[in-house]
Amino acid sequence: MVQAKGPGFQTLQIEEYVVEKEPFYVPMANEIELFEAAYQQQIPVLLKGPTGCGKTRFVEHMAYRLSQPSSVRQKNGGAETSAVPLVTVACHEDLTASDLVGRYLIDADGTKWIDGPLTRAVKVGAICYLDEIVETRKDTTVLIHPLTDHRRILPIEKQGLLLEASDGFLLVMSYNPGYQSALKDLKHSTRQRFISIEFAYPVAEVEAKILEHEAGISADIAMSLAKLGEKIRNLKDHGLQEGSSTRLLIYAGKLMSQGVSAREACQVAIVWALSDDVQVQRSMEEVVSSIFE
Amino acid sequence: MAEQDPRLESIERELSQFPVAVLQAYNTASEKASVLLSEEDLFTWADQGAAIARQSVRSWEAATEYFSASIEVLPFLSFANFVPWSQNGLDLCQASPTIAAAYFRASPETLPHLRPRQVAGWSELGRSLAKGTWKSTALSCKFFEISPQLFPSMTFLELERFIRFIDILSQRSYDLATECLELSHSVFPNLGDSRDSFISLVTTLADANGNWREVKDCFEVGGRAITKVERSQRARFLGLAERLSRSGEGGVISFLREGSQGLGELDQSAHPVVLTLGEALISLSPAAIAPFLAVVPTVLARVSPPQLELWFAEGIRLLTENQDSGLAFFKLESSFSEEMLDKLSAGVELSRVKEVVGMYSRALAGNDMEIAPAQELVDKGIGWVSGNHATIEGNTLYLPALIDGASTKDENFAKLKVIATHQVVHQEFGSFGFSYEHPSTLFRDLRPLVMKPKSLGNKPEEAAPTPEGEAAPEDTGPVSVETGWVTDMQGFFDVFPERRMALDIFTVTEDSRLDARVAREYRGIKRSYLKVQAESLAERSPLEEMPAQQGLVEFLIRISLGQRDKLPVASYLADEARKMAKLVLRVMRVGSTVEDAAEAALRIYVFIAGVPNHSIPSNEWTYIEIPEDDEWEDPEDMEEMLKRLDRKEEEQEQQEQESSEGEGEESYESPQDVEYRGEFKPELVQLLEEMKDAQRQQNEGEPPQLTREMLEELLAQSAELEQGGDADMDTSTTAKNLMREVGMKLPPKESAQGQGPFVHVEDEGGPLEAVEPHTSVYDEWDFRAGDYRPRWCVVREKVMTEGDVGYWDTILQTNANMIAEIRRQFEQVRPETFRKIRRLPDGEEFDFDALVEAMIDMRLGLSLPDRVYWRRNKLDRDVAVLFLLDMSASTGEAIDESRGGADEWDAPGNPVDYMLWLRNRRGTEGAPRRTYKRIIDLEKEASILLIQALEALGDKYGIYGFSGYGRENVEYYTIKDLNEQMSEKVQRRIDKITPLHATRMGPAIRHSIKKLDEIDAKTKVLFLISDGRPQDRGYSREGVEKEYAVHDTRKALLEGKQKGIIPFCLTVDKAGHDYLKTMMGDMGYEILSDISMLPQRLPELYKRLTV
Repeated sequence: MVQAKGPGFQTLQIEEYVVEKEPFYVPMANEIELFEAAYQQQIPVLLKGPTGCGKTRFVEHMAYRLSQPSSVRQKNGGAETSAVPLVTVACHEDLTASDLVGRYLIDADGTKWIDGPLTRAVKVGAICYLDEIVETRKDTTVLIHPLTDHRRILPIEKQGLLLEASDGFLLVMSYNPGYQSALKDLKHSTRQRFISIEFAYPVAEVEAKILEHEAGISADIAMSLAKLGEKIRNLKDHGLQEGSSTRLLIYAGKLMSQGVSAREACQVAIVWALSDDVQVQRSMEEVVSSIFE
Repeated sequence: MAEQDPRLESIERELSQFPVAVLQAYNTASEKASVLLSEEDLFTWADQGAAIARQSVRSWEAATEYFSASIEVLPFLSFANFVPWSQNGLDLCQASPTIAAAYFRASPETLPHLRPRQVAGWSELGRSLAKGTWKSTALSCKFFEISPQLFPSMTFLELERFIRFIDILSQRSYDLATECLELSHSVFPNLGDSRDSFISLVTTLADANGNWREVKDCFEVGGRAITKVERSQRARFLGLAERLSRSGEGGVISFLREGSQGLGELDQSAHPVVLTLGEALISLSPAAIAPFLAVVPTVLARVSPPQLELWFAEGIRLLTENQDSGLAFFKLESSFSEEMLDKLSAGVELSRVKEVVGMYSRALAGNDMEIAPAQELVDKGIGWVSGNHATIEGNTLYLPALIDGASTKDENFAKLKVIATHQVVHQEFGSFGFSYEHPSTLFRDLRPLVMKPKSLGNKPEEAAPTPEGEAAPEDTGPVSVETGWVTDMQGFFDVFPERRMALDIFTVTEDSRLDARVAREYRGIKRSYLKVQAESLAERSPLEEMPAQQGLVEFLIRISLGQRDKLPVASYLADEARKMAKLVLRVMRVGSTVEDAAEAALRIYVFIAGVPNHSIPSNEWTYIEIPEDDEWEDPEDMEEMLKRLDRKEEEQEQQEQESSEGEGEESYESPQDVEYRGEFKPELVQLLEEMKDAQRQQNEGEPPQLTREMLEELLAQSAELEQGGDADMDTSTTAKNLMREVGMKLPPKESAQGQGPFVHVEDEGGPLEAVEPHTSVYDEWDFRAGDYRPRWCVVREKVMTEGDVGYWDTILQTNANMIAEIRRQFEQVRPETFRKIRRLPDGEEFDFDALVEAMIDMRLGLSLPDRVYWRRNKLDRDVAVLFLLDMSASTGEAIDESRGGADEWDAPGNPVDYMLWLRNRRGTEGAPRRTYKRIIDLEKEASILLIQALEALGDKYGIYGFSGYGRENVEYYTIKDLNEQMSEKVQRRIDKITPLHATRMGPAIRHSIKKLDEIDAKTKVLFLISDGRPQDRGYSREGVEKEYAVHDTRKALLEGKQKGIIPFCLTVDKAGHDYLKTMMGDMGYEILSDISMLPQRLPELYKRLTV
């Protein structure tokens, strides 16, 4: 399984990545049950929510959960008994169809076909997670359509193949409805192939719990940080494009647990990270200095 | 009677030839003179009189005066001195008997002030004024006439100089000289030691070319002005005026007026320093001196005198570099000047930190928060009265305009932050959410026992179940305030006979709750909070002087501010006080709510109400310590105590009747406010909320639930309105203002009392503030000063009213061919969006040509070329364009009329003239049907065609029009917003585009830039369509330099360019070449020679610009 292993790194084939340690995840509602149900019914899932609110963590958590012998999948007597690999593709503006499906490369004897990450996931029955799907070009998004309806097939045009997805395959996409312009809206023909689970930043108490765990800080500081997060999110659309993500709060917490002073940690992890506007920074600093000594 | 001296007889005979008055005067006088004088002297005396009388035809008058005056003069003068005196008169008589008469007439009152040897000088002064003309004679007479009044207030030497001045002045104008003489006796007494300087000043004025007309004003203003200057500094002040007049700059009068005004506002001890600076300044720039003295009070209000010198030094540096910018600096009309001041001052001005504090408060409160100076709320007249106290109302946080108590900026800002935080947490921690229905978390609910059930509102069934089973009022008709209440807060306060005291107590308990919670949840600000609390504690007035009830409230305030020991309390009240302290401490607990604060207040009230409000003798005071103990059990007789709430009412009525007798019990008065806690008016805030709700419902067609009568009744009861403080603030006015505030309908006449569309603000009025909704304020560029005039223009954004859609259709039909052509052209632009790019190192597919070459190379053993892919690259067309249409009056001109350029230049500065001028220019604009086309019509047509093109392209676009009048009224009309979809509304609005007023381009451009800046697009274009140069009232420097407007416009366009916006100006002004070159520089512009080409040309230009 492990292709290469050095003292400090290990290299995996993309489709071999399996989440082995349980990622920490605090559910906000019944999203776990929903996801499990969708997985069982092979319904693609769209995760909506602002950046850094835990969408990726949720997918990892689900990949782990579904890999466990006691998971819903096993209990229901699913065909697969092995773990569910997780293939993650970070989407970007220039992501083309061949980046996902695969392409010919030149080698000594001529050209050679290399499977793209999507193809691999389809073959092994992995969860394929397309992160920030709206970033891709519209012509690329169309490619996934046959995979997301009852057909569950992936046509590989250049090879002249049709690939049928194995049972464990599930397409999951994430999408941040907030920041992209009207140009980058998701087409309805794509949207309507998914069920959508909405994510939001957790309420302060829950977020504090997450921070406490992730950053290794005291409950007290975690609560203050969560409160700061809540306050800063109030500035969304009033100087800030996006509120402070849980991820940034965790960074701040981690810095604090390393002995960085609270105000300084918040400044680098939150204030400066969120805005370049001096006035806005100053305003956030005032909030920080009200909450932290 | 002794025998007559024959010599006298002959004199008498001579005198009898003159009119009878002479002899009469002689006879009257000689009786007294004969007593005073020896025989010989008597003869000399009489002979002098005769000599005068025989001098000339009319000299008998002088002789008459001589005889009557001499009698009064003789007691002062020895006869040796008397003779020269009379001789002077005789000499004067030679020049003019009238003058001599005046001389004699004035002598009795004047001579006491003169030394004998000065008498000759005095008469000589009079003579010097006489030049033989009748006007000079009159002047000379005038001099003698007022001499008695002049002498007490000036020395002879000064008089000499003064008369020399009058003499000089008389060469310009006798009338003026006479007037000045008349004024002088009222001016000189005020001048004190600075008389000399004053004379010197007016002499200079009379000398200096052309300024002599100011002399009279100088007398009128100077006398009053000088009194404002510190006595010992008056000479220096006048010295400055003199130097100013010598400089030939003019403006001496305004200097006297403004300068003294400025100094008058200062502490007198500051005068020497300021004048020293003024003396330094005047040698560099005389014109700057008056503005400098005028702004000094503003400056010194913010900085200390040493800092003033630093600020001043900066101004001097600027002056040496550039006179104009230095001048603007000293007028406080340059941004740099303000920045400098801000840097130097320790005070924190709200206007400068508004944005930060606003965002901070928004973050804390979680909803939109506007920041405004507290004075603004006071000005609304809806119940708030203190411009120094922070308060919160709805979504607006009102803060003091300046915080400068501490010595450093940081400390002052920290204080402002504490103040703002305290107000915001009112909202965050729910002070205004007080509800009758919410139970208390810390106390047994006593409210249902005492509060009358709510009977107004849309939930009558909820009011019914009260614990006692009291019957809810059946009557559901119009509800009077006496039986029910509008807001829960009002219902709560209705419980208390002494509302003022109840409000004070509730304020203490609620503020304690908030402060404790802030300290827990905002640990970072805790330190500043404690500091401010400690400062507030130090400022409290001595408790021991207060009567019992006020003292107890003060006692609680101190506990809420953190004092725990040495708390003064009357020894017989110590136990009660301890109990009350517990209540205050209890609401500081984690999780307490506003209802807890109310329950605590209720309990405290009944305690304090049970204490007679006597003053407490000094030996009764004891000092107690309060432990941090907040355990609380209601006493058993709690319900009994609650009866005080009812009984008190009757007692009060009785008391009011008997109050004249008095029994030592004083009426309750509030202790002083805690400054940082601002004004807490929960009842008013809830009321306003309720009114806004009611208004919304009414707008939705529901019947109004709150009438003005009810409102007035309600306000009359509220403790939150200061009674008697402001005489003109009666409840009826307040009610009216409140209703206006929430937008309730008022009789038309009253609602029209608000600001009309043209609020005239003087050009000299300094920076403006954007207070109303949909207004923004912008700086304006002063090219002479090389700096911005801060916050100089207010742009008012309005949505264009909608007209008839028929106009749109007509234009479409008449231009059908052209539109089809335009559409076709623009649609062609579109498909260029994808382009195939070859020979890439990575891509979608192999580029076969490249691949074949690569394979050949490989077989040949050459290095493998890696660029063998191709891909499609998408070219996003991402354009946003803002069209700004000139809607000035001149666009109403017919296009074929010859367009005289001259009147463009002659916008009068005077507002009234200006409006007339505009009306004339608009001419036949009011006529219902026009047969000719106007420029604006072409602008309208052009925009309709352009919309076709833009819709075909799919670009983001907005169309706006602008006009206005004066810097405070730049009107900005939305025809189509950038973020708005094309709709019939837009079509209707185009119909309504009409020529309006003037063209102040700068602010309109800046506003457009702001709009474009908020849009996300790769290419942004600002397209300005105008018919002439920018002009507006006051859009110039001192009303003459029209380039000012051109330069400001240019600056505004450059600002846009810096933000990545492409500016383009299309003008139909044939004379445009001269100024457009300056205005646009290397930015794009075009002058349409044939105006009727506009509709065609505009889309063409647009295509060229963006494709």
